[in-house]
Amino acid sequence: MMADYIKFVDVTKCDGCRACMVACKNWNDLPTVTEEYSGSIQSHAKVNAHTWNVITYNEHETANGGFEWLFRHQSCLHCVEAACEKACPEDAISHTEFGSVVIDHDKCVGCGYCVQNCTFDVVELATYKDKHGKEYRRAQKCTLCTDRLEQGLEPACVTACHTDCLIYDEKEKVLSEAEQRLAKIKERFPNANIYNPQGIKGTTTVYLLADKPSVYGLPENPKVPLSQIVWKDYAQPLGKAMFGVTTMAVVGSVIAHAMNREKGEHKGGQDHE
Amino acid sequence: MTVVSRRQFLKLSGAMAATLAIIELGFDEKKIYADSKNIKIFGVKPTPTICPYCAVGCGILVYSKDNDVIFTEGDPDHPINEGTLCSKGTTLRQVFTSDRRIEKPMYRAPGSNKWEEKDWNWMLNKIAEKIKDTRDRTFIESEGGAIVNKVESIACMGGAALDNEEDYLLSKLMRGGLGLTFIEHQARICHSSTVPGLSPSFGRGAMTNHWIDLQHTDCALIMGGNPAENHPISFRWLLKAKERGAKIISVDPRYTRTSAQADLYSPMRSGSDIAFLGGMINFILENQLFHEEYLKTYTNATFIVGDEFDFNDGIFSGYDEENRKYDKTKWQFKKDENGEIIKDPTLKNPRCVFQLLKKHYSRYDVDTVVSITGASKERFIEICEMYGATGKPEKSGTILYAMGTTQHTVGVQNVRSFAILQLILGNIGVPGGGVNAMRGESNVQGSTDFGLLFDSINGYLEVPTTDDATLSAYLKRITPKSGYKVNNPKFVVSLLKAYYGEEATKENDFGFHFLPKITAERNYSHLRLFEAMGRGELEGLFLFGQNPVVGGPNSGKEKEALGKLKWMVAVDLWETETSSFWQNEAGSDPSSIDTEVFFLPACSSFEKEGSITNSGRWMQYRWRAIKPKGKSKADLEIIHLLARRLKKLYKGNFTPVAQSISALSWNYGEGDHPEIDLVCREINGYDMKTNQLVSGFAGLADDGSTCSGNWIYCGYYPEKGKNLAKRRDNKDTGMGNYLNWSYAWPMNRRNLYNRASCDSSGKPWSQEKVSIYWDSVKSEWVGNDIPDFGKTTSPDDQNGTNAFIMLADGVAGIFSTSTNDGPFSEHYEPFESPVLNGLSSIQLNPVVQFGDQDFNPKGDSNKFPIIATTFRVSEHWQSGAMTRNQPWLSELMPHMYVEISEELAKEKGIKNREKVLVSSARGEIEAYAMITKRFKPYKLRGKNVHHVGMPWHFGYKGIAKGATANRLTPHVGDANSTIPEYKVFLCDVRRVQ
Repeated sequence: MMADYIKFVDVTKCDGCRACMVACKNWNDLPTVTEEYSGSIQSHAKVNAHTWNVITYNEHETANGGFEWLFRHQSCLHCVEAACEKACPEDAISHTEFGSVVIDHDKCVGCGYCVQNCTFDVVELATYKDKHGKEYRRAQKCTLCTDRLEQGLEPACVTACHTDCLIYDEKEKVLSEAEQRLAKIKERFPNANIYNPQGIKGTTTVYLLADKPSVYGLPENPKVPLSQIVWKDYAQPLGKAMFGVTTMAVVGSVIAHAMNREKGEHKGGQDHE
Repeated sequence: MTVVSRRQFLKLSGAMAATLAIIELGFDEKKIYADSKNIKIFGVKPTPTICPYCAVGCGILVYSKDNDVIFTEGDPDHPINEGTLCSKGTTLRQVFTSDRRIEKPMYRAPGSNKWEEKDWNWMLNKIAEKIKDTRDRTFIESEGGAIVNKVESIACMGGAALDNEEDYLLSKLMRGGLGLTFIEHQARICHSSTVPGLSPSFGRGAMTNHWIDLQHTDCALIMGGNPAENHPISFRWLLKAKERGAKIISVDPRYTRTSAQADLYSPMRSGSDIAFLGGMINFILENQLFHEEYLKTYTNATFIVGDEFDFNDGIFSGYDEENRKYDKTKWQFKKDENGEIIKDPTLKNPRCVFQLLKKHYSRYDVDTVVSITGASKERFIEICEMYGATGKPEKSGTILYAMGTTQHTVGVQNVRSFAILQLILGNIGVPGGGVNAMRGESNVQGSTDFGLLFDSINGYLEVPTTDDATLSAYLKRITPKSGYKVNNPKFVVSLLKAYYGEEATKENDFGFHFLPKITAERNYSHLRLFEAMGRGELEGLFLFGQNPVVGGPNSGKEKEALGKLKWMVAVDLWETETSSFWQNEAGSDPSSIDTEVFFLPACSSFEKEGSITNSGRWMQYRWRAIKPKGKSKADLEIIHLLARRLKKLYKGNFTPVAQSISALSWNYGEGDHPEIDLVCREINGYDMKTNQLVSGFAGLADDGSTCSGNWIYCGYYPEKGKNLAKRRDNKDTGMGNYLNWSYAWPMNRRNLYNRASCDSSGKPWSQEKVSIYWDSVKSEWVGNDIPDFGKTTSPDDQNGTNAFIMLADGVAGIFSTSTNDGPFSEHYEPFESPVLNGLSSIQLNPVVQFGDQDFNPKGDSNKFPIIATTFRVSEHWQSGAMTRNQPWLSELMPHMYVEISEELAKEKGIKNREKVLVSSARGEIEAYAMITKRFKPYKLRGKNVHHVGMPWHFGYKGIAKGATANRLTPHVGDANSTIPEYKVFLCDVRRVQ
C-alpha cells in the first residue's frame, strides 16, 4: 500500500541550500516569519506555523578534535505512533494512506494540545481572522504534501532537492540503500546512524544522521507517554460510546490539559518562559 | 473556550505577529486536506523558462493563471537540474508577485527629493533628447590625427541579466550607433580575469567543460569558488561523481557549505592562491605525477624560449619600472632560420618551457608555501597527492573557480596557474576535466560574447583603437598568421554588415569608421569609468540592471561620483540603491544633487522571450509565461524604442556626429516590440543577396556578401524555422552531452578542446570517458561530442595533434607570451597585506596600474591589521536587488553580518550576535557579529594573522536591508583585466559601544 513509501533524509548529502524551505512555502502559499538575528546563518530557531521545514546548521567539534558543519532538514517526521494524534481531543489529526499525519482544519479547534505533545516539537498554532475579523487558531505543520502525493507528485521539498538528500521512494528499497550508505560514511562519521525510532513504531520521514540524534536535538529513543495512549485508544472511544461526543470533548480538554501541565513542567527551562 | 497556558500564550503572541503579515499579503488559510482536484496547478499549462540567477542554466516551469504566477518549480525535463532547484530558483514566482516591482516609469528632476510618475513616451523622448544634446556637444571626430568618431561623455553599464538578443541590440546601439567607448558591465567586476587567463592558455576564454560533465571527474579542486552556495546545482553533478568514488577538495579562506561536502578542506589566506598553486605545480613536477605524453603532444612545454627571457627576484626580463609594464618582446620563443619555433621533444634543454617551468616553481617548496598561505603542511601534501593522482592518463581532474580567484590584483595569473596545473596533469579537453570558470549571472557569458566590455567587440574581436587608421590596418593588427583566428577579417566584415547593412560598402571600408576608436593604451574599465565620472568627465550613464552602489568597489566613493552626472537612465525591475542614490535614505542631500534620473521599469525574464547562454556555453531559449507586469517592458523593446527615436532625431543627417546612428541598420519590424526572430537571424548571419541563413561560421565572407552579428553564434540558426536554442530533446546522446538540447557555441561543441581527450593516434586516454575518437575506417572524428577540431583532420596530418585550434601554435600555452605580468604566474601580495612577500622582495604585482588616488586610499596594517574578504550566499544574488525584494529569500537571509573567529572575538571582547563596526581605509560599516568555528586565525612565519569575511549583497533598499560591504573594498585592479581586488583588503573590527 501507499504507506510503504517514505521520505528519506540523508543529511550527509545536504549542502544547506534551503531550496526545501522555499519550495514548501511556494507550494503551500505560506507567509514569511522573519526572525531576529540568531548569530548563525540559520534563519529560524525551529519550524513554526508558517515555516514547516527549517535547515539547521550546527558547527560541531567531533570527538577526535575534527570539525563538521552539520546540516539537517528539520520538519515533521510523521510518526507511525503519533503523539499529536493521540493528544488531539477533536480527532482532527489522522494518518493518511501515505502514512502522513495530517490535521483536519474543519475539526481542529486550535486548542494546542498537539503542540504541547509533539515528540519533535514541530506543530505550532497559526492565527487567522475570519471574515468578521474574529481571530481563530489552527494547528499547522508539514503535511508531507499529501495533496501532491494524491496526484502522484513528490513532496515539494523532495522535488526541489538537488543533492538527493531528500528522496521519496519505496520504504524497503530506501532502507536497504540507507544501510549501504551508512556503511560507506562510517569512516568519516563514526557515530552515523539511521534514525527511525522504534519506540514510536518508526516514522514516515526517516533520517540518516551523521552523528548521534542528540547532536541534532533529537530525542535518542522517543516514546508516546502511556497515559496518552490509554486516553486516546481506550478512554476516549469508550467514553464517546458511553457519554456522547460533546461531553467527552470537554472531559478530553481537562485530561489533556492536565497532561500538558505535567509535560510543561518537565520541559521547563527550554521554553523561554 | 479552552484554557491557554502561559507557555501557549507566548507562542500565540508570535503567531499573532504572523497574522498581520497574512492579512497584508492576502494569504488565506489553506485547507490542507482539500479535494486534491483543487490543487492549485491542476489543469494549468506551465511555460518553460531558464533561471535568471546564476549561470548554471536550470530549467524552471512557470505556472501562470488569471494574470498571476501561482507556482514555479524545477523543469523535470531539463537535463542539468532534472526538476531540482536551489532556493533562488524555487522562489522565481516572487519575482512576479513581489509588490515591490516598479510598474511605471519614474522621473526624478534635478534637486528633487521624489520620483514622479511619467508615461513611456515622455520618458523616451526626453532621454533621446538628452543623448543627442550630450553627443552633439561632446562628440570627438578625430584624435591625434586619427578619425575616431566617438563619444566619451556617456557610459553604458550592465547586460549580464539581459537576453542575448537584447545584449546584441544594446551593444549595436551603444557602440555601433552612438559611438560610446565607456561600455562596461558586470563581467568586468566578476570574471574579467578569466578571458585573459584562459585565452593565451587554451585559445578561448570560456569554461572548458559543462555542468553535467562534472559527473565524470575523478577529483574536483574547488578553489576561489563556493559552488554549493553560488552555483548549487553544480553539486548535483559533483555528488554524482562522488558516488562513483571521486574526491572533492575545497581550498578557501572560509569553511563554506562547499567545504562541508568536501573530502579534504584546507584554509588558505586570501590572496595567496599563486603560492598554493605554485606549490602544487612544484610538488607534481618534483614527484613525477605529471602526464608526460600529454605535455609533449599538446602543450608548448617543448618550445625553446629566447635568450632574453629571464626572471630574478620577482621580476621577469623587460621590466619598465617607470611605466610599470613589461616589454613582452623579451619573452618570445626562439626560432630557426625559417621562422619556425625550435623545440626539444626530450624536454631536457634547460631553455625549453618545461625546464624553465620547473625552475620557476622550484622556489614554491612545501615549507615556503605553507608559511605564505597558512595551510597546514600535512593537509597541503595530502591535497597535492590527491589532486596529483589525476595526472594518470586515464584519470581526469576538474578545477572549479569563481570570484575568489578572479578578483585580485593577480586575478589573471591565478587563472593562469590553474591552466598550467591542468596542462601538466593532462586534464584539458577530457571529460571530467577542465578549468571551469563558474559564471554567476544567467547570461554573463552571453553579454561578454556580445562585446559589452570596452576592449572587445562581438565574438572576442579586439576593439578598434586610434592605432587603426583603416580597416586593413585594424585587420592586420588583430589577425594572427596561423590558427583559426586567421579568419578574423570575415568575422569583422560580417559584423559591420550586420551593423550598417547597405551603408557598409567596400568603398567606405564597410563602415569601419562608423565604429568608435578607443584611445590606444587607455583603459575604460569599471574602475577608470567611475574615476572619470568623479572628475566630472561623464554627463550621462545607462544602467541596465547594474547596481554599483552595492556592487562597485569602494562603493561609497562610486556613489558620490554619480552626483556629478547630468543624467542617468536606470532600467531595472526594482528601485536599486544606485537609481535612488540621490535619496535621503542613501545618506544624500537631494537638494544638492542635480542629476536627472529616468527609471524605466523592465519586465522579468519570463515576461518576455529570448535566449541566454549559461556557463557551459549552452544557449537556451526562454518563452513568455505571462505578460509584463504593470507597464513594464522588455529591455529589447526599450532599446528598440530608444533607437528608433534617436534615428528619427538624426534623420537625413550624415554629419560626423550623426553618421553612425544614421547608417545603423535597424529593421526589426514596424511594431513597438521588435520582431525577435529578425534579431536572431541577424545574430546568426545570412547572405546579403539571398537572405538565406548561413549554416556556420565557415560560411562567412570578408567581401561584404554575408552579415553575422556574432560569429561565434553563427550556426545556431542554420535554416528557416530552426532556431537551435529552442531545442528541448533531452535524450542523452552519450556522456551526458545532450547534443540535441539547446545549442552550445561554437558549432554545438560541448567540451572544448576535445581532441586532447585522445592520445596522438586518436585513441581516448580512457575507455570510460570517451569524448571523441578517430575512426580510421570512416576517416573522421566520431563519438559523443562534436569535434572541436577538423572533422576529417587525421591524427597523422601535420596539424593532426594541434588540439588547441584557436591558438596560433596549435598547442596549449604553459608559457604565455601575451600576459601583461609574465609568462608564468608569480606570487605577489595583495594591494593591502599585513605581511611581506615570502617569495621575493617585490610586494605588489609590479605591473598593476593605479587610478585616481582619492578613489583608493591605502590602509596601513598597523591601523588595519585584519584581513577581510567578501563572499556571496546561496539565498541572495549579487547586489541583492533581485533577492532582497522577495519575501521568502529575505526571510532566509535577512541580516548583514561579519564572520569572525572565536579567537579574534575573544581578543576584541566581541560576543556572538553583538553589533560591530568594520572599518577600512575607505569607510566603516555596521554589521552583526557571527562568531564561528569556520574561521581560524593563520600562523604565518610565526605571526598570528586574523581574518574576517562579509557577504556583499546588502544595501539600504528592499526587504532585507543591511550595510554594504563594498564601502570597504579597494579601488585597484588586476594588471591585465582591471578587475577590482574585492577579495582581500585590510580592516579593523570593534564592538559598537
